[in-house]
Amino acid sequence: MSLNNLMLNVEGLIKEFGNFRALDGADISVKEGKILGLAGPNGSGKTTFINVVSGVYKPNGGKIFFNGKSIYKLEPHKIVHLGLNRTFQVPKPLSGLTVEQNVKVAAVYGSKEGNTKDKINSALSSVELDNVKHKEASSLTSAQQKLLGLARALATNPKMLLIDEIAAGLNQHELKRIADMLIKLNKFGITMIVVEHLMSFLDILTDDVVVMNAGVNLFRGSIKEASMNEKVVEVFLGR
Amino acid sequence: MLKKRIGSFGIILIIALIFIFLPFVYNNQSFLFNMMLYIALAEGLNIIYGFTGYLPFGYVGFFGAGAYSASLAILFLHFPPLLSIFIGGMGALLVGVVLMPLLKLSGAYFAIANLAASQALYYIVANPNLESITHGPYGISLASVYNPHASYYTMLAVLVLSMIIVLFIRTSNFGLSLLAIKEDRITASLAGVNVAKARAIAWGLSAFIAGLSGASFAWYVSVFYPGTVFSLNISVIVIVFALFGGIGTIAGPLVGSLILYSFYNFIGISTPQYFQLLYGILIIVLVLFLPDGITSILQKRKIYVP
Repeated sequence: MSLNNLMLNVEGLIKEFGNFRALDGADISVKEGKILGLAGPNGSGKTTFINVVSGVYKPNGGKIFFNGKSIYKLEPHKIVHLGLNRTFQVPKPLSGLTVEQNVKVAAVYGSKEGNTKDKINSALSSVELDNVKHKEASSLTSAQQKLLGLARALATNPKMLLIDEIAAGLNQHELKRIADMLIKLNKFGITMIVVEHLMSFLDILTDDVVVMNAGVNLFRGSIKEASMNEKVVEVFLGR
Repeated sequence: MLKKRIGSFGIILIIALIFIFLPFVYNNQSFLFNMMLYIALAEGLNIIYGFTGYLPFGYVGFFGAGAYSASLAILFLHFPPLLSIFIGGMGALLVGVVLMPLLKLSGAYFAIANLAASQALYYIVANPNLESITHGPYGISLASVYNPHASYYTMLAVLVLSMIIVLFIRTSNFGLSLLAIKEDRITASLAGVNVAKARAIAWGLSAFIAGLSGASFAWYVSVFYPGTVFSLNISVIVIVFALFGGIGTIAGPLVGSLILYSFYNFIGISTPQYFQLLYGILIIVLVLFLPDGITSILQKRKIYVP
């Protein structure tokens, strides 16, 4: 793999909480324009990985390069300005603000490029929330709040998105809609890491999956290969 | 946005005109001065509490720092009063910078730490060993520059400044970023907001306003003790005034101060025993039925409150 077109390159990432190592030397990289699925059982370090890469948690060791630049221990807003953003498994809306204001903050502060109004409108229409833009964010359903999180991230003009379990708790119809949305965004050139429990959801998005366990990457390949890999089956189902 | 700014500016203009001309027809200047003082302080507190959610229980620390910085500039450096008032604002800002690490705390921890810091400042200023500098517990006398009229209009200028700052914050993207921080710091930072910088600016502005107010107060009364300008009552009163009206707006702290300070003056001084009772009832009613202040009645009906 040529290093030149790697959008994200993480080597030996370590994150400790007291004596517990949530990330124990994870190596994960994504090429520009691709979607990488990130799977693994509960507690395997998937969300911690996203939290550390996006700057929400400070790492204890390793290297993180985004678009050729080190973003190790960088503040979240600086990482956002470089073009890397994320969504949350449990949505964290700016509850007291309207949907439009939620996106406006990101459009104004997330990136200097482009017209603020255009960025707001395009982010809201990408996630089909334009019809509720004057509503307070707290009044949205959980699925809508997840989409609002995605819209906020989009308004910052990201080159890459880290999507954390966006499908959790959604019905089949919503799942399909979100999968289509992510595929469309990817076609527009946004590289992605999609953390997901639901293999069927990942299967629609990509054939390149990393399976994590105990804070390290255990396997990389297609979902079909993963399902036949002994170690992967073991961590998911137990021996 | 422009319409809202003009509307809010109209309110500020009306308030300014009222306080310019009222002394000619109403001779209780001290009441008017204190009214302006409390509105300015409530607006200053509003900047940090209303827009970022940090409740500064030790807000009076900035007030006292401003009063003392200005007084020392007058007494030792022989600066003219107006320059000294500015020094008062800068003195409070300096205290704000020193206390900035407190912003890493949140909720009750921040409130308590800030309260302790203001009291630490009080004990430093009131320390008899510092008598040669701060006059310790014996207080300050600025009799040489006493000028109730000039200090009255200086307070008015501070009041107008405080309201203009809140107007700017209320109607700007900067204000929106502060509200985002108030809602969720992590989400705000992932929207690209430099959280530490934005809240530091809000904190500094808030401290600066309290410092200018304290300095104007020092000039107006001319004789005061550490206990006067570091009294926790000031923090509590200002927080109650701001909350009563409704934080996060210009109108809220203004209305809250106008109503409650008038109420305090007309009932609190003549019949203090009933005042305490009525005040208590009023606060209970407020907390139970209007936790977002009286201006929230309008906001709930989708009416824009400046």
